[in-house]
Amino acid sequence: MKKLLTLLTLITFLPLTLLAHLNIAVSYPYIGALTKTIGGEHITTTVLAKGNWDPHFIIPRPSLITKVRNADALIMNGGQLEIGWLPPLINRAGNPKTSPSSATFLNLSHHVELINKPSEVDRKDGDIHPDGNPHFHLSPQNILFLAQTIKKFLISIDKEHYEVYEKNYADFSKMWNQKMNEWSQKMSDKKGLKVIQFHDNLAYFNKAYGLINIGTIEPLPGIPPSSRHTIETIELIKKENPCCILHDVYHSTKTADFISLKTGIKIVLMPHDLEALENIDDLGSLFDHLTSAIK
Amino acid sequence: MKKILLSSVLCTALVYGADVLPVEKRTFDQSKFIPDISLILDASYVDRNVKDDEVGHLELPGVAHGLLGSHSHGDDNHATYNAENGFNINYAELVLSSSVDPFFTMDGVFHFSENGVEIEELFFTSNALGYGTKIKGGKFNSNFGYLNEQHHHYWDFADMPLVYEAFLGMHGINEKGAQIQWTAPTPFYLMAGFEVLQGENEQMFGNETIGDVEDPIAAGKDGPTLYIGYIKASHDIGNTTLLGGLSYAQGKSRIDHSGDEENPHAFSGDAKLYGADFVVLHALDSYKSIKWQSEYLQRELDGTQYALDTDGTVLGSPSMLKEQSGLYSQLIYTHDKNWRMGARYDTILKNDVTKNGLDVEQHSGLDKYTAMVEYHTSEFARFRLQYSRDNAMFNEDGQREKIDTVILQANISIGAHAAHSF
Repeated sequence: MKKLLTLLTLITFLPLTLLAHLNIAVSYPYIGALTKTIGGEHITTTVLAKGNWDPHFIIPRPSLITKVRNADALIMNGGQLEIGWLPPLINRAGNPKTSPSSATFLNLSHHVELINKPSEVDRKDGDIHPDGNPHFHLSPQNILFLAQTIKKFLISIDKEHYEVYEKNYADFSKMWNQKMNEWSQKMSDKKGLKVIQFHDNLAYFNKAYGLINIGTIEPLPGIPPSSRHTIETIELIKKENPCCILHDVYHSTKTADFISLKTGIKIVLMPHDLEALENIDDLGSLFDHLTSAIK
Repeated sequence: MKKILLSSVLCTALVYGADVLPVEKRTFDQSKFIPDISLILDASYVDRNVKDDEVGHLELPGVAHGLLGSHSHGDDNHATYNAENGFNINYAELVLSSSVDPFFTMDGVFHFSENGVEIEELFFTSNALGYGTKIKGGKFNSNFGYLNEQHHHYWDFADMPLVYEAFLGMHGINEKGAQIQWTAPTPFYLMAGFEVLQGENEQMFGNETIGDVEDPIAAGKDGPTLYIGYIKASHDIGNTTLLGGLSYAQGKSRIDHSGDEENPHAFSGDAKLYGADFVVLHALDSYKSIKWQSEYLQRELDGTQYALDTDGTVLGSPSMLKEQSGLYSQLIYTHDKNWRMGARYDTILKNDVTKNGLDVEQHSGLDKYTAMVEYHTSEFARFRLQYSRDNAMFNEDGQREKIDTVILQANISIGAHAAHSF
């Protein structure tokens, strides 16, 4: 009988001890990759959004409520990128650990400097982000800052394993610095190139490598292309002669194809996150691809 | 002289007053604590083949009357949405929401209309209990079924599904009370909820005394008298989300039409409502999706019907049993950020009314067909053209009146409005 009881106890509590490491929910795949790199085997990550779809428009599926409900911590991008889908998930999850006021909640945008902060906030200017451009992870330098922020966060919620997190960060930092040199060399002859985008989600990448964005296919942030603005863009391209249209993977390239047909400009698909294109399965390959895309 | 002195002092004060300190230097400034505020306008242009004077007198026999147009009972003047031919302002919805402290958030939703202001919702919620538990208290839309919790501005059509409107009225189950919901720690979504509510629905639930308090037609019962439970589950298959729910509501029923000019009557008894809902959403890309949404409602009203004269004297009080059910099923296609379109089928499936144990003959074929197309200039402005053919309404002579309605609806929002859930 006693044996049976012991066995039962073991069966009941075994899964709990196996799951004793932290389950961290993150909004986007790039945050998941960074967190896993620093956290190593002491954490598991649950990514809420898919990497190949528009990060602004994620359907708040009920399954995501369960993912937030079962998380020990939540790391988000911030800068209002998740404003349209994450708050209702947090509200419904009934999990104090993912509440924005909790010590196990991390808003990455509070730890990097945002650029292009609008001086005036008015919706006549489209669906703007009042805190500045939130696509800051597309600068390799920022990735390093974010890794450091996540390291500090993991140590703050799991002091026991701080040595592991420090070491993983140091390893990553060393590897990343080498990579950054490589990418800078690759991109050195691209400095000053003019580009067009669909939406300005490469602002930080462009800044890092000296590319100059001269226009977007959408007339205003979040407003779909109009024929008048498309004609203006064609005129602009003829006048300014930019190298290419750097296009995201989730908007239709219909308008870009039309512009390309009229002007002969190249369209280059630029992944914004892991899984955005095939073979982009870690942060290194994301930037490898981005820095080789412009020929 | 005095006047000059006074005005110069005032002027000086104004001049100094105009030299306002920047926000960050105002010692006691609290302006950063302003809650999220949004204002939503819902206005429409209606073209209906039935005159305004007639439409308010139409009824869904055995189920409900006064569903369309504006009508009055007692001192109350009600207007439903899209009540009149021509232009309508349905409401201005003011929403305020903010955290209260680390433990609570509060939301207030107020409907301003030409008839006054209504507290649509006013509640606090907390996630602080943990373990997947969420509590809510105040006045709110019940989470019964799928559509009931959503605000009008989030609906896919300008009007409510027929079965909802007929059984529960245009506000659905919108009550004062308390709610507890628990999300299970399962790998898929599983949520169970329980609500204790006052029970004051115009069409179905009620607990007030009908008639004179000294010698009531039907004595009241102090609240709360409405109890609701539900369970919902969801699963994803690739880019397809399935969501299903079962709901049950049980309460007292008091339907008071003693003040009506024609055929005053009242009902007192017990009410039960069963609901089953099923939603499938398939996302084709970030912006394109197909959503199929269906709900089935079944109700049982068991009690006494009072036929009254205009003084409130009871002319007859037969026992009455109503067993009714209905459903709607709708398909919405979202093409891109600008265009959406959809169609809805509504029907009352069962309409069994028994008076003193005898069946009362009721009409069949109570259904409605609706189609709509929407254009969004942005996330904040939506214009919708909707056509419906309603075969469920009858006039006072018991003749069916087919109603064709075209509604051009504008729904515009400004300010900071929180994202909607699934």
